[in-house]
Amino acid sequence: MLPPPRTSTSTTSSFEPMTRQNTFSSQDGARSLRQSKRASMTALLVSMNARERDLEISDDLARAQRLLRELKVKISSQSKKNFVLEKDVRYLDSRIALLIQNRMALEEQNEVASHLDEAAELQEGEFPNDEKTQKYGNLLFLLQSEPKHIAHLCRLVTMAEIDSLLQTVMFTIYGNQYESREEHLLLTMFQSVLTHQFETTPEYSNLLRQNTPVSRMMTTYTRRGPGQSYLKEVLSEKINSLIELDEMDLEINPLKVYENMIKQIEESTGTLPEDLPRSVTAEFAAEHPQVHAIIDPRLRTLSNLAEGFLDEIIVAVEDAPYGIRWICKQIRNLSRRKYPDARDEAICTLIGGFFFLRFINPAIVTPKSYMLIERNPDDKPKRTLTYIAKMLQNLANKPLYAKEPYMAKLQPFIQRNKDRCNKFMLDLCEVQDFYESLEMDNYVALTKRDIELNISINEVYATHSLLEKHSTDLARDHDSHLAILLRELGSAPAQLPRKDNRAIILPLYSRWESSFDDLTQQLDITQEEILFLEAKSTFVQIIRSLPDRSRALSRPLRLDRIAEAAGTLRNDPVMVRKGIRCVELLSTLSDMGAVERADDYAVLRDEIEQELAHLGSLKDKVLEETLKLEDVYKTIRDHNTYLLSQLETYKNYLHNVRSQAEGVRRPSNVKEKSRELGPYKFSHAQLEKDGVIKRSNVPDNRRSNIYFMFRSPTAGTFVISLHYKGRARGLLELDLKLDDLLEMQKDNQYELELEYVQFDVPKVLALLNKRFARKK
Amino acid sequence: MSYQTRREHNIVVLGAGGVGKSCLTAQFVQNVWIESYDPTIEDSYRKVVNVDGRQVVLEILDTAGTEQFTAMRELYMKQGQGFLLVFSITNMNSFYELAELREAISRIKEDDDIPLVVVGNKSDMEDDRAVPRARAFQLAQSWGQKPYFETSARRRTNVDEVFLNLCRQILQKDSVRDQMYEHHAAQRRPARPRHEKRKRRNRDKCVIL
Repeated sequence: MLPPPRTSTSTTSSFEPMTRQNTFSSQDGARSLRQSKRASMTALLVSMNARERDLEISDDLARAQRLLRELKVKISSQSKKNFVLEKDVRYLDSRIALLIQNRMALEEQNEVASHLDEAAELQEGEFPNDEKTQKYGNLLFLLQSEPKHIAHLCRLVTMAEIDSLLQTVMFTIYGNQYESREEHLLLTMFQSVLTHQFETTPEYSNLLRQNTPVSRMMTTYTRRGPGQSYLKEVLSEKINSLIELDEMDLEINPLKVYENMIKQIEESTGTLPEDLPRSVTAEFAAEHPQVHAIIDPRLRTLSNLAEGFLDEIIVAVEDAPYGIRWICKQIRNLSRRKYPDARDEAICTLIGGFFFLRFINPAIVTPKSYMLIERNPDDKPKRTLTYIAKMLQNLANKPLYAKEPYMAKLQPFIQRNKDRCNKFMLDLCEVQDFYESLEMDNYVALTKRDIELNISINEVYATHSLLEKHSTDLARDHDSHLAILLRELGSAPAQLPRKDNRAIILPLYSRWESSFDDLTQQLDITQEEILFLEAKSTFVQIIRSLPDRSRALSRPLRLDRIAEAAGTLRNDPVMVRKGIRCVELLSTLSDMGAVERADDYAVLRDEIEQELAHLGSLKDKVLEETLKLEDVYKTIRDHNTYLLSQLETYKNYLHNVRSQAEGVRRPSNVKEKSRELGPYKFSHAQLEKDGVIKRSNVPDNRRSNIYFMFRSPTAGTFVISLHYKGRARGLLELDLKLDDLLEMQKDNQYELELEYVQFDVPKVLALLNKRFARKK
Repeated sequence: MSYQTRREHNIVVLGAGGVGKSCLTAQFVQNVWIESYDPTIEDSYRKVVNVDGRQVVLEILDTAGTEQFTAMRELYMKQGQGFLLVFSITNMNSFYELAELREAISRIKEDDDIPLVVVGNKSDMEDDRAVPRARAFQLAQSWGQKPYFETSARRRTNVDEVFLNLCRQILQKDSVRDQMYEHHAAQRRPARPRHEKRKRRNRDKCVIL
């Protein structure tokens, strides 16, 4: 049995609710349809009012909403920057490895160097001419408002082309991650691609299994702001407390346990008893009583841990991002449609194949790449995390056969939790659709004059060139809007060199306008309703603008008094106009019989009170969401700082390598290269505070006597020495090469030993970068 | 009980999602055909095999094909000595994904000649073939004449062959390396590892912290 439909969208649906209620469920039939249209109308009126900018509401709610909006814009643009940076760092990661291994030819070094220079932020600019701006503005508007084109394109491109397309789609065309219209359009695109996949996959078991442009899209989608904050919320604390326990061994593979056991016995006693042979079969190990004794409590601990994760995930069902839940819903609906006989368990398998396999579990297994923790965990906690992910995956999937026989021991965990896990996955699907409001949003977009897109010229050209390449499929109908635009644009220009590429603000608008009259017609809304809604929204605006202690606001509200109060305000012509309009509206509506003067316009008054109450609770929600998002923004910014410092390190390293290579041929640079830099002195306390010293065995009372000197005899080489106050020479000295540090970092070795202290490799790298940057 | 150390050989099974890595592995290790859908995160198996009269212990790591788990691959590549690069003959994209894997392996191993077998699975689904045999063969050849096998995990065709072939390559590589090592050891003192950090301690002073 499905739970009853919810009355509101998920709490973190994160969209600006404005004065619209997003609450309509397809099950309520005509009434809700009507409601949704009314809600949409309100949105339209508000948007039109906003366009006039005639009344700046500046109560607490408005201010909080403004802050939240700004924060969302920042998150969206920052996560795009990170996405681009991550690509650069990934590319350089692999190149630098080759360079360290001295296997890179000079030409390739040059190529990498130019890539590094390119990684800088784009300059702003604009298209060379207005005609282009206009044509591309039309094209991008079409692409944005009719997601079917991009959905189609995603099916046509190769895996090699998909990455740059996704960057443009996820972070530019639908880049405002918290704007309902763009989000909904993006999801519509998902649906179209998913539907196609369901239609073309012959076997149920192959569905959503392969890596396809769709799965790549889903990955990218889950890594946008909302997915990121959700993962942080449900997983971060659990994972962090788990990796603290770096000695907790929860291995349950009998072979591994057995080997570890005899190793320990041998180490402590020096010999191995006769009955413990060195190499054994998995069956022998699994049967061994001593192995049992070790594994049994571990099974319990693992089950408890995994249940803890599951509790957290299930409790937070309403916090799961709307878009991710909506995708789950599409998976459920599409499978029911294609396989009407499929049982819920089978459907849950598919939902789990997205939600757990592609969203939750990767974050559990590699939490660092999801920004949930700062360092890769040690081996033992890492293994534990892998077990937890495997258990959750088994729970979501409930395979009939345990591929690894020892995993069968965790069956009790599965049995105990499978029902609630299934219920959770079905609950995930219980979100409303958005088609009605999307349709509305699109009309709103048509009436607005100020939709813009932050995009780079090369993104525009790349998109154009992909469309051109696949135009025979995409624009088969020569009279379609897309075909017309593509014809007019001609062939796609080549990519600009990065230095000429510019970030531009492209105004979007449609070549094919639709009028407001069509809209009311299509929405089937009467004149009476339009007036009623206008009255409601105007009253709400007036009330929000009146001072809190105004007499006109005493309860119960008297609408005529409020209108009068606004109409007679001094020094505020806008309010006066609103007030007069309200008086008119009240009288017209009374004449139409929609409201009764005799009962103080009770119908309208009650709706206004409802709206105000809704706005009141909205403020708390807005504040709460702002707090959450500030946290997300901080994480994203920290990650950005990390990526930038990584690039800086690579830059310095490459610079050293090249100047050394050049030095052989052109001795001009020798002076700068071979000049000793430093020494710089750091106290123990300072390095400890900055996290450069990770652990220290120096007794507390001696720490103030210890200091460190850092110097760089030549480019790329460093000496760190440990000194004791009053002694002329250092006690310990460590010679370092930048290569070594980079390699350690690459191998996830984060600790650098200097007898009494342990340095943190990335922090040391950052410090060396800062202090010893040489002239290029 | 023999005290002779039996070397373990680490085999890693890599490839895109849904190509049949786990099915192939399960057929080899346990002689079973897994019908159900069960995406892997990370599974490990051990099997003792007889290769040309020698007892060899294989540690087989079956990995996630789901692309969201790629962050784990690097570690697997470091640990593995031989690799099965599996694709499905019915899916071109899964074939394309091999090149990236091969590139990563030789980068991480700092070696272009790593024991490796290219495996085109699902050969029982000839009607749905999307990757021509010749093309896969060519690709394998271009990577230093690596063998290409077409397998069917469902029918257990060529399953043992791919694992045993890989195992032979590993043994071969080991014996070449052993010979080289002995040769070098006889010729000169062992070289200092390339990236050794040098630590100096000023022994002339007594240090009490």
